[in-house]
Amino acid sequence: MSFSNPFSLSSSRPGNGNILVSLLPPSTPVLQTLSYQYPLKLIAPNPITANDRLVYTVFILTYGGGLVAGDTILLDVTLAPLTRLTLLTQGSTKIYNTPDRKKLTQQYTVASIADGSALCYLPDPVQPFARSAFSQTQVYNLQSRTNSSICVCDWVCEGRPARNETWSFYSYTSKNEVWLTGSGELEAPQKKRLLIRDNLIMDDNGSFSTGLRERVDGQGIFGTLIIHGSMFEQLGNHFMNEFEHLPRMGNRKWDDHVEQVVTDPIQAARLSRQGREKTDGLLWTSAKVRGSVLVKFGAKEVEGARRWLYAMFKAEGTVEREFGERALLCLR
Amino acid sequence: MTSGIDSSPEIISQDVSSSSERQMSQAEISDSRIPASSAVCLPNFTALHSLVLLADSALPLGSFAFSSGLESYLAHRTNKSSSGSNGAAFHSFLRLSLSTLASTALPYVFTAYRRPSRLEDLDNDIDASTPCTVARRASIAQGRALLSVWERSFKPHYGEAKDEALRPAIDALKAFQYKLRNAVEDIPGLGINAHLAPIWGVVTRAMGLSLQDSAYMFLFSHARTVISAGVRASVLGPYQAQHVLAMPELQEIIRTLLEATWNTEVEDAGQTIPAMDLWIGRHEKLYSRIFNS
Repeated sequence: MSFSNPFSLSSSRPGNGNILVSLLPPSTPVLQTLSYQYPLKLIAPNPITANDRLVYTVFILTYGGGLVAGDTILLDVTLAPLTRLTLLTQGSTKIYNTPDRKKLTQQYTVASIADGSALCYLPDPVQPFARSAFSQTQVYNLQSRTNSSICVCDWVCEGRPARNETWSFYSYTSKNEVWLTGSGELEAPQKKRLLIRDNLIMDDNGSFSTGLRERVDGQGIFGTLIIHGSMFEQLGNHFMNEFEHLPRMGNRKWDDHVEQVVTDPIQAARLSRQGREKTDGLLWTSAKVRGSVLVKFGAKEVEGARRWLYAMFKAEGTVEREFGERALLCLR
Repeated sequence: MTSGIDSSPEIISQDVSSSSERQMSQAEISDSRIPASSAVCLPNFTALHSLVLLADSALPLGSFAFSSGLESYLAHRTNKSSSGSNGAAFHSFLRLSLSTLASTALPYVFTAYRRPSRLEDLDNDIDASTPCTVARRASIAQGRALLSVWERSFKPHYGEAKDEALRPAIDALKAFQYKLRNAVEDIPGLGINAHLAPIWGVVTRAMGLSLQDSAYMFLFSHARTVISAGVRASVLGPYQAQHVLAMPELQEIIRTLLEATWNTEVEDAGQTIPAMDLWIGRHEKLYSRIFNS
């Protein structure tokens, strides 16, 4: 039996958020929509001008700095053609413990990036506390394979090491998908094409006796960086190039005690970064996959990974130039 | 052939019930289970035959060239002071590697087997889900090799089957092969790749294997590849390798992984061991290496 509700349903639902950057003709981007519902909170400081373009910034916040069991965030981001948006967080997203491992905390983000627009999303890492259960999905719909640009990072740390939490949550899954939704480039415009799917599933009731600790091999943080589109082409090449220049493993160091004199500033910066990679236990790999550059990294501690990311972005400079110094806020 | 007859329960019961043999001593009875001349009814061996064909380590899939990250894993291990012997590290890697394969590729075997017409989509999606060049290269090389074996060696015998259950798989392979050969790309650079997992699902269906057998063998073959790589990387000897393959624990691991992923949709396939992506991706950074992956 069903009853019709005499009151019209409210269109706002808990945890929903909307961000729409549109273009006021001829070429002024405006933050047309910014709406959010508890427990989600969005804050937009004044836009900045970078490389003669107006860049909007939105901070994604949660009340109390974290999410509790049963919270569901649904964030919808739309970038009209020729617009730019920086998404940031303020401190790591904390996931609090759940009374029941089946009661998930969920976050779902869909971003549509039109032709000629660019999204930079370099947040703080997710920090799942002991006995938490979290699942998040980020979907990036690109209108143009070459001219819709994204630079997004997704990283997760072991919890609160100060309280001896090392990967002691119930479950954590994070999925990143990049789709080509297209216009003109596809035969059938209705058919979407999957470009990248990156799915990390960490579950302590794993199918057999490999505990989470064995699967992380002593690392305290893991992350993925997806770089796509013409605006970040240089940035992608930078990661590929630096990966090429990593020293070979298992190579004998014949010149251990010889002081090398390095005059080239790029080479000097590279060597010092590689030295820090070693002390921070940072391992990374970079690959060109179907037009994107996909970078995977892991480190013993959050700070090591943060330092490394900052050094990589800073040395290349695209993000700072096109989105301003603020885009790297979470990496400092 | 004797072992096949011996394991068939009907034949044994026929034999024991024959009156002339009741007077024999106990020892003679236990020795005489193989009948000399009684008419036997053998089961249909078609599926077994396909299974043995595909399980042959001489199948030219080129898997001998890949260690699936083992070589890189061992190289990263030597940097760690707390590591035990290489043997212990190998066993740990084998479990991790099987687990990764089950969570990333096995759902594609299942789905391709169940719905062969989706082969092309599945090939695109697994390509999108393979984050590193090294793993991608290995998967494509083996997938294409299996497709060639199908085309050149198996198709003449299996390709004309009229069986309704096999037809969709055979037709899917034909269409896929056509597109691969003619390099049909609806978007430049996003053509057909022929990754191993979906091809395996469809080829095993076309050859009449059950889904359970197909999936079991997919994981078992991977275990064999990793173990044989272990032999060549001298972490274990050839007898030890067979010992590991014969272990009941290996069966148990494969069974548990099959159970866990039996109903996993390809959309939910993913990496369960984050460090694995790093080891495999950094294979290229080894100073000296004997494998392609």
